[in-house]
Amino acid sequence: MIVRIRRLLVRLTLFLAFVGCWEAAYRAGLLNPIIFAAPSVIVKAAVKDGWTFLAAFRVTVLEITMAILMAWCFGIIFGVIAGSLPILARISAPMLSAVIALPLVVIYPVLLVWFGLGVTSKIVFGTISGVFPIALNTLTGVQSIDHGFATMARAMGANRRQIMFRVMAPLALPAIIAGLRLGTALIVIGVVLSEMLASTDGIGFWISYHRSLFNTGQVYLGIILALSITILVNMILSFVERMHFRGGDERFVR
Amino acid sequence: MWIVRTSQLLVVAIVAGLWEAASQRGWVDPNLLPPLSKIGSVLFALLHDDRLLSDLALTITEVSAAFTIVGPLGLLVGFFLGEQPPVYRALGPVLHVLLATPKSIFLPVFILAFGIGFLEKVIFAVTLSFFIVLLSGIAAAQSVPAGLVTVARSFGATRLKLYLFIYLPAMQPLIVEGLRMALIFSITGVLLAEMYGSAHGVGRLIFAWGEMFRMPELFAGVLLIVMITVAVNELLRVAENVGRSRRRGF
Amino acid sequence: MNHRPTARAGSVEIIKVERLSKQYGSGANSLRALSDISLSVSEGQFVTVVGPSGCGKSTLLLILAGLVSPSSGDVWIDGAAVTGPLPEKISVMFQEAWLLPWKTAVENVEFPLMLRGAPFAIRRPRALSLLQLVGLEGFANRYPGELSGGMKQRVAIARSLVQEPRVLLMDEPFAALDEQTRTRMGNELLQVWEKFGRTVVFVTHGLTEAIYLADFVFVMSARPGRILERFHVELPRPRTIEMIGNEAFGRLRNRIWHLIGGA
Repeated sequence: MIVRIRRLLVRLTLFLAFVGCWEAAYRAGLLNPIIFAAPSVIVKAAVKDGWTFLAAFRVTVLEITMAILMAWCFGIIFGVIAGSLPILARISAPMLSAVIALPLVVIYPVLLVWFGLGVTSKIVFGTISGVFPIALNTLTGVQSIDHGFATMARAMGANRRQIMFRVMAPLALPAIIAGLRLGTALIVIGVVLSEMLASTDGIGFWISYHRSLFNTGQVYLGIILALSITILVNMILSFVERMHFRGGDERFVR
Repeated sequence: MWIVRTSQLLVVAIVAGLWEAASQRGWVDPNLLPPLSKIGSVLFALLHDDRLLSDLALTITEVSAAFTIVGPLGLLVGFFLGEQPPVYRALGPVLHVLLATPKSIFLPVFILAFGIGFLEKVIFAVTLSFFIVLLSGIAAAQSVPAGLVTVARSFGATRLKLYLFIYLPAMQPLIVEGLRMALIFSITGVLLAEMYGSAHGVGRLIFAWGEMFRMPELFAGVLLIVMITVAVNELLRVAENVGRSRRRGF
Repeated sequence: MNHRPTARAGSVEIIKVERLSKQYGSGANSLRALSDISLSVSEGQFVTVVGPSGCGKSTLLLILAGLVSPSSGDVWIDGAAVTGPLPEKISVMFQEAWLLPWKTAVENVEFPLMLRGAPFAIRRPRALSLLQLVGLEGFANRYPGELSGGMKQRVAIARSLVQEPRVLLMDEPFAALDEQTRTRMGNELLQVWEKFGRTVVFVTHGLTEAIYLADFVFVMSARPGRILERFHVELPRPRTIEMIGNEAFGRLRNRIWHLIGGA
């Protein structure tokens, strides 16, 4: 506990030092004010346009939440099914990784035509951005569980349901969470990017709007808000992981 | 193995067939989802269109520029880090923060910094790819079996020969993987930058077609990008797997 | 000199295998793993099975455990025909301990009881006393990731005893351990066995281990696996390390070695 508090303090100090240096460099005229906004400039931007950004934040968070719900559900369900059927896994895994390699942004214009400028196109694009990595990670996670665990559980008298939920599901959890981490980061990026590309509201919209007016402070404010969502989701996932794996040994999936 | 390949082709064929049928029979609005056959003929016509060809040439040039910068750069820096554990350990946490940070959200900052144009797109694509390639480089350096190096040195291999005959062949699969990452992330980066703000390039063209509701052209453009990326990606993946299967004994 | 009560060395037949064969696949690609195996084991005996690698001794064990079904032939354990896992009668141990990594040692030991819905007040004391038996009373709340290979297998031994089975089936349980730990684990297993007197079938490819532990050694041939011979090990109990060096031990070891080598 003390170690953790101390580590937190060290990180906080480093962060504050970084912010301080940034501000000092800015004041000294070392940073181009069009490209870099000093912390004080960002704070000023927050005071001026804070309410607009907060309202936009709500829209973005709503879109991200919807996209997360859909991508997590579809990704995990598909990954678990395909991962437990070897033939389906061998067929779909290469296809999934081929799709992941695609620059999926190019389909956003299609979604704009289909669903319009509103929130729906963002939710769909966010879902598409995240669902494939989640499915692939879940698939490989489930697939790579050693059959020894299932054999052992069977020998101990576990029935199919118990093997599934008491043994296999917890074993696959680290890989699934790794996939959720990756996928969720992509969802957040996808939603904010799609707002930046074409929208009428949301953090991304205001980032683009202020970029065109060269309001660097507001641009950074938006970016920080977007990043904070990623960090928040990651923290939640880490918490779930830690609750489940207090043992600290995550290398059991081979 | 053939059963897997056949099934994969079958899945693609079924999707294509459903698409064609849905559009032809009017299950969906053909203005929103034009039949594949029509998209195909539009794509064929576009390939003789000077505007598209010049935009495609520009996009390919940008991707090539980004790739030739970030591929070697990322792999070399990664190799250096993988070979120098103390440096890697010191930089590790910073590296992971940078790796986890979504770079594409900073696209507006790149425009603020470099304006809209060739330089901005290439630098953005390089930044987007760099850390992922770096990871491959680190993994490549760490994948060289230490025992192999010791044996070669006991035979009196010079440093050059060590790198040429031990390191390079041992790292080949991960080097190819790093290059594959460099390429697909460069493509994504350039297209994104083009769509976000640019006067030229395939990305811009696709976005404009969307804004003008020209669905056949839009789908043709998307199809073109998908085919190019899949071809390039699969080619490099085959190279990677050839290297891997030869190393099965390791 | 025989330290065990004679009543336990009784002749009640607890395992009976009749004309057992196992074939994987069919047609030209089929693989005959086991061919016409018949054997019987009396209650309380410690029996080992040795044979060249790939001779199907693990398959035999899996069939005894009801985890793999035979192509033909029958298996009875404690009077019941084996057609599937019988967790109340049989427990199995493998080369890997297969401990659930998110459960502590004691939670792993009581896991089989939990599957059957036994209440905490019953399963926890029993699990703790078994951990004490294998010398891990101080490690009850450690996670598998914090235990050494030998400790993990000791937890697995405790777990395999928790349902009070009549028969323990062990498939090279100590093969992944280093020589010294393996010998120590063998001795500890013998101590546990002498205390509880369960029947043990222990598959191994180590001849010394096979002779050292056993009342009877079954020697199997290369694929398709058949039982070549059954040797009675007439060394007194408790066994000691010094016996490995004595002449009778060496003679038996040589005979088995030639039998396997010549097969």
